[in-house]
Amino acid sequence: MTSDNVIASEKTSLKEAVEIAKKGTHCGMCRFDFLGSGVCPAGKKHGFLAYWPQGRMEIVKQLDSGRVKPTEKLKDIVDSCNLCGFCDKQCNFITQLRPEKVAKALKEYVESLDKSEFKNVLEDDILRGLREIVGEEWATNDPNIISSYTFTILPLDSELNYYVVMPENAEQVSKIIKFANKNNIPFLPRGGGTAFSAAAPTVLVKGLSLERGIVIDLYRLRKLEIHPESCTATVGAGITMFELQKGALSHKLRALAAEAGAHVCSNIVTTGIISTWGNRYGAFADNFIDLTTVDGEGNIKKHSDWERDNPYSTEPGFTNLSLTPHNIVTEAVVKLHPIFDDEEVVLVPFDNLRDAYRLLIKLGKRGIGLSLAVLSRKYLAEFLSPTLQISKDFDYVCKNYLKLNYVVSIICNKDDKKIVEDMVDYTIGQSLMKNLILGAPRFSTLKDSEFMKILSEEKDPLYAIFAGPMRDHLEKALDPSPENVAKVFDEDLQDFFKTVYSKPEMTDIVWLHAFRILPTRMLRQQMFMGPGGAMWTGDENHYLNWIQMFSDMGDKLNVEHSLGFITPLDNGKFAYMEYDYYYDHNDPDVCDRISKIVVDSMEQSLVMGKVLTILNYLFKGIYRKEHVLYPIPKGISKEEQILFKELLETILGEEV
Amino acid sequence: MVKFLSEEWVEIGKNYMLEKLDPEKDLKSITTSLLGVVEHIPPDDTTMNFYLELENGQLKDFIVNTGDTFEEKEATYEIRGNYGTYKSVLQGEMNLGIAVLKNRLKVKGSKLQALKLIKPLDGVIVSLKEITDEFEE
Repeated sequence: MTSDNVIASEKTSLKEAVEIAKKGTHCGMCRFDFLGSGVCPAGKKHGFLAYWPQGRMEIVKQLDSGRVKPTEKLKDIVDSCNLCGFCDKQCNFITQLRPEKVAKALKEYVESLDKSEFKNVLEDDILRGLREIVGEEWATNDPNIISSYTFTILPLDSELNYYVVMPENAEQVSKIIKFANKNNIPFLPRGGGTAFSAAAPTVLVKGLSLERGIVIDLYRLRKLEIHPESCTATVGAGITMFELQKGALSHKLRALAAEAGAHVCSNIVTTGIISTWGNRYGAFADNFIDLTTVDGEGNIKKHSDWERDNPYSTEPGFTNLSLTPHNIVTEAVVKLHPIFDDEEVVLVPFDNLRDAYRLLIKLGKRGIGLSLAVLSRKYLAEFLSPTLQISKDFDYVCKNYLKLNYVVSIICNKDDKKIVEDMVDYTIGQSLMKNLILGAPRFSTLKDSEFMKILSEEKDPLYAIFAGPMRDHLEKALDPSPENVAKVFDEDLQDFFKTVYSKPEMTDIVWLHAFRILPTRMLRQQMFMGPGGAMWTGDENHYLNWIQMFSDMGDKLNVEHSLGFITPLDNGKFAYMEYDYYYDHNDPDVCDRISKIVVDSMEQSLVMGKVLTILNYLFKGIYRKEHVLYPIPKGISKEEQILFKELLETILGEEV
Repeated sequence: MVKFLSEEWVEIGKNYMLEKLDPEKDLKSITTSLLGVVEHIPPDDTTMNFYLELENGQLKDFIVNTGDTFEEKEATYEIRGNYGTYKSVLQGEMNLGIAVLKNRLKVKGSKLQALKLIKPLDGVIVSLKEITDEFEE
């Protein structure tokens, strides 16, 4: 057997492994224990992405493409996996993939190779220098390890001429940067990598990736301390939102949370933590009291240092765009917030966006709700459904029979709940949501049922189902139970998923909102791109026209699309909106169309005015929101539009 | 073809720009001055700078100095970065704009104005690319 041929041709199991790996989207959910079922022991021990399930999947793809050849280190990577199956449980919950099959196929492939097939990679002066800083184990130039970073910081077509280094504290980060500068080598920090993976198949990759040099993987900065007395937490750059939230919850506190797998520090520095809890808990620099940063010269600074220039201020506008962080945030002291005993979820269903938006902004301006957002039908379907097919059917039923297209989702205490209930005709509460989660498979089978046909003939199906007698019929028809959800998973995992869905938190909408493990389901076996931004809410028509522009673009370019969410900021004066496009990241044609949408929607947003696109706030998360959001941008002039095109040409090259 | 930042580089660069570039067409008749500070120059980790001045698209001054400041004249813009970044730009691996946007080259002064300059300065960059082929290792 030789490694000269593409590996997929060698064994059927490898063909299957490559197919599984291609469907992976680097959500990173295999790197922390969100189901209480354990986390990959090899990844935890060795740190480098190659030792984690997502890294092994990327290696299989890279070996198959011929971009990388087996090295001595590859033996170590496969030996470190004991096929414990933790990854299958985690990944299957989110994506229905089986990464253990990939790990097994990779193991078999490596074991079948002749000793002479493994390349020995030599240490060079740069690697020696990096190892002097972090220790021999934590710096590498091994192509297999490097290849595992493709898609999450390295472009898909790179030559793999990189080093990966894993510092364990700010001092080591500082030394690495000074060393890199002295040797004229570019570098880029890596947190969770998921944000980059969404950009990787598009034109954005050129601007955001590292073209060569040193990847500084921040996973080893694992400090996590909760300070209940001050309602704060000290968080190292390797800590995920889920881990922070779990630590906070043990003290009956809550952090402003992005999606579960996002690294807290990276998220702060990249866009600020954008969350449905932002209207109450704040945005941008509201969320931390101190940061430890390492700048481009390797200087370590704290925001709390006396005698330093204002670290909270930034120049507004799209031309102040930065494609890399000005600083690496190695540690943050973040604010935590009290959890109330009487918190509940209230969802208000709508058939049209205008009414949902009006309620959202009204509540936002009145400061009602801890978490507050308009969620689209598609979002609900993706989050609540255990499989992709069920989510499609769920979406179909909501759209065609219930006319349930949007919900305003409010997490609030009892007093606020009463205010909301007085404002609307009917609501959905925790009990029905729990039944929808446990009854999602059955709900999706109601497609084309007599029950739904009768319901759809009602004048107001939403009223009939949520406020009328048909609600009981629906709840009975759902037949909700952990057993019934578990049945849709692979047979060997059904007992496990029955246990998972029996846990109270898995159907607790407040918990799910805070821990945000379900949004990753948007990445199951497909990619999504979520452009949008924040817009001034003073002009309702302007806001809704902005959303319509994204919808029209999706129709025009024939890409599956849907509003994601809208959530107010700064007491409802602004609202952040994400519009999602779903696509197959292995299809170059649709990737081109997504690229066009990204570019065109940004331009149109800037022309419309009152919008802060990603160009306005990328890598500005550490600044005061007042400096990022204000002054409210006017629509750009013709001259600025030309400059915008030149800027894009600079970033993206001729592709634009 | 000459070595980056050498005296010869300045002389050939001047001649090239004067002979080959049209002030109106290639340099958009701009009037500006730029100080490029080049840090971490191998092998001794030194710093040098070059001062470039254009008036109505005509090259007025092009000077190379040691150190990170140029006392004789005050430039409208200062662009600072390491030797490797300048090398990447002059070898065509990275364009000036992306080097600025990736913070590899740091601009002192308005980023907006600096970005507006990038297109008019294309001619200068192309000229320097044409004449530079030797770098410190």
